[in-house]
Amino acid sequence: MPASSRLAPPEIDNISVGYMRLTDAAPLILAKEAGLFKRYGLDVTLCREVSWANLRDKLVVGLLDAAQLLAPLPMTTALGAGGMRGQLLSGLALGLNGNAITLSNRLWHSFSDEGKSRLTPLARAQQLKALLKETAEPITLATVHAFSMHTFLLRLWLQAGGIDIDKDIHLIVLPPEQMCDSLARGVIDGFCVGEPWSTVAVEQGIGSVVASGYEIWNNAPEKVLGVTQQWHDAHPATHLRLRLAIMEACQLLQSADQRKAIAMTMSQAEYLNLPSRYILPSLTGSYRYTKGGDAVSVPDFHVFWKYQAGFPWRSQAQWILTQTSKMLGKDICAEQAQSLIQQCWRPDLYREAARLLDAPCPSRDYKPENTHEHEWLMDNSIELGADKLIQSTEG
Amino acid sequence: MKVDKPSAPIRVMLVDDHCERAQLVEDGLLSAGFEVISVITSAAGLLFQIEQHRPDVVIIDLQSPDRDVLESLAIVNQHNPTAMVMFGQEDDPDYIRHAVSAGISTYLTDGINPTRVRPIIEVAMAQFRSFQGLREELDTARAQLQSRSLVEKAKSLLMKQKNLNENEAHQLLTKLAMDNNQRLGDVAHTVVTTLSAFETRK
Repeated sequence: MPASSRLAPPEIDNISVGYMRLTDAAPLILAKEAGLFKRYGLDVTLCREVSWANLRDKLVVGLLDAAQLLAPLPMTTALGAGGMRGQLLSGLALGLNGNAITLSNRLWHSFSDEGKSRLTPLARAQQLKALLKETAEPITLATVHAFSMHTFLLRLWLQAGGIDIDKDIHLIVLPPEQMCDSLARGVIDGFCVGEPWSTVAVEQGIGSVVASGYEIWNNAPEKVLGVTQQWHDAHPATHLRLRLAIMEACQLLQSADQRKAIAMTMSQAEYLNLPSRYILPSLTGSYRYTKGGDAVSVPDFHVFWKYQAGFPWRSQAQWILTQTSKMLGKDICAEQAQSLIQQCWRPDLYREAARLLDAPCPSRDYKPENTHEHEWLMDNSIELGADKLIQSTEG
Repeated sequence: MKVDKPSAPIRVMLVDDHCERAQLVEDGLLSAGFEVISVITSAAGLLFQIEQHRPDVVIIDLQSPDRDVLESLAIVNQHNPTAMVMFGQEDDPDYIRHAVSAGISTYLTDGINPTRVRPIIEVAMAQFRSFQGLREELDTARAQLQSRSLVEKAKSLLMKQKNLNENEAHQLLTKLAMDNNQRLGDVAHTVVTTLSAFETRK
C-alpha cells in the first residue's frame, strides 16, 4: 500500500459498489473481505444486482457509486443503445476471459466421439455447422446481454465454424440464472455465459462445454469497473482509492490458495449463494468440459493481474465499438468513435494507480491483437499474454 | 414516427413477480384510463408474450433479471416494430432518478410519444411507493404482534417459576427494560430464552 501521505483524502468514504452473481466478481469481494477497502479508508457496501440494465441505471442515476460492468457498457450507454443514456468511464478492467460456450446434451451427443473428446473448439464449431446443414433447422443460443463479450465471442466461434448466424442461429438474451433451466427444458440449445454458470450446467448434467472464452480469444477483455464521468470529477481521490484496493485484490488473486479461499467465501448466501464446487473449477483452472470427463488445465480461465489484466486498452475499446456498430446496424464515424473511446476508456487513470503501487504499466494505449501465440514483451519490459483469436474457416 | 390517435388507449403490459403489487399497479392504471393488456408474473416466455400482445409500453420491476432480455429486443429486433427505448428520448435525469428509486423501469415502443406515457409511469411509481408503504406497515404490525406475544410468554414463565402474580411479573419486566435501556420486547425475548432453557433442564 502506498504511504497514505501520497494519497489525497477521499471526498466521500461511504460508497456502494454493484456487482453481478458471477465468479469474476472475485476482486470486488476479496477487496471487501480482506479489508482492502478499509485500508484505503473506504467503507464499501457491495450490492448484488440481478441485471446489467439494473447496474447501469442505478449507476447513471447515482444510486450506486461504482459497478462491475460488461466491457462494452460504458460506450453503449454513452450511445444510449437499448436503454438509459449516460456518461460512464472506466480506469480499471476487472479481469480477462472468464466465459464458456455450453451446448445441450442433444447437440453434444450428435457430435462424433472424436468431436467430444479430442477436437479443438474450431473443429467443434465445424461439426455444429455440418449438423445444422443436415437438419436444416435453426437452433436457439443465448447470451446474457446484447452488448457483451459473450455475444461477440459466441459470434466469433460460430463464424469460425463457417456458420451463417443470420440464417442458422436464433440468438436471444436470457439472465444467467435462467440459462441452465432453459437449457434443461429445451427452450435453448446452448449459451455463452460467465462462470460459474457453465460449470453448473456441466455438473448438473444438462450440457457440455465446447469452448472456453480463452480458446476463442486469448486474454480477451471482459468486465470493467465503471463510474459516471460526473462522479469521477467530483470524487477523484475516492475513485483512486477504490481502484487501488481492487488492484491489490487482483494481485492477491494470483495465488492459488487465495483463489481457493475466495471460492469458499463467494459460495456464501450473500454473494453467489452456490456450492463452492461450482466456483472452484474456473478459478483453479482445472476445468471440466463435460460431466464425468477429465478435468482439463485452462490456467488462464480467469486472469486478474498478470498480462496487464487491469489495463483498459483503447485498441480493445475500438474493437468492441466496431462490433457494437455492426450489431446496431449503423456506422459510427471515426471522430465519434475516437471521442467515445477517449471519454470511456481511461488508461491514464490506470497509470496513476499503477505508479502508486510501483507496478509496471504500458506507456502505450494501443496494442496489437491476433498476433502473439505466447506471452510476449512490449517495449522490452511489459509482459503481455497471448492474443490470438480463433481462426475462421474461410481464413 | 407514427402519430398516436387520441382515441386509442395506450396498451400497457406489466411484468412483476409481486402479485399484490402488480394488482395495485394494474388497478391504478385501469382507473386512470389505461388499457392493461397483460400482467405476467415472471418473464419466462417474455419474448413470446411481447410478440403476441405487441404492447406500447412495458412496465417492469427494476429488480427483475429480465430487463436485459427486454433491452435486447430494442437492439436485436431492428426490424420488429416493438423496438423499446427506456423513457423515450426524454432524458430528464430527475424524473428517471425518481422512477429508478421507486423501483420501476419502463420501456416504450418507438412510435409512442414519451409525454403521453409520463402519466402511466407516474401512476405506476405512485403505486410502487404505496406498496412499499403497505409492506413497511405490515412489517411493523408483525413486529408489534411478535413482541406482544413474547411479553405474554415471558410473564407466564416468570409467574410460574418465580411465583409472581401477573402485575408483579409485568412490573419486573418493565424494570428490567428500564435498567438495561432496552425495549420491552427485547427483554421479554431474553427472559423467554433463559427461562425456557432452565425449564427444559428441569
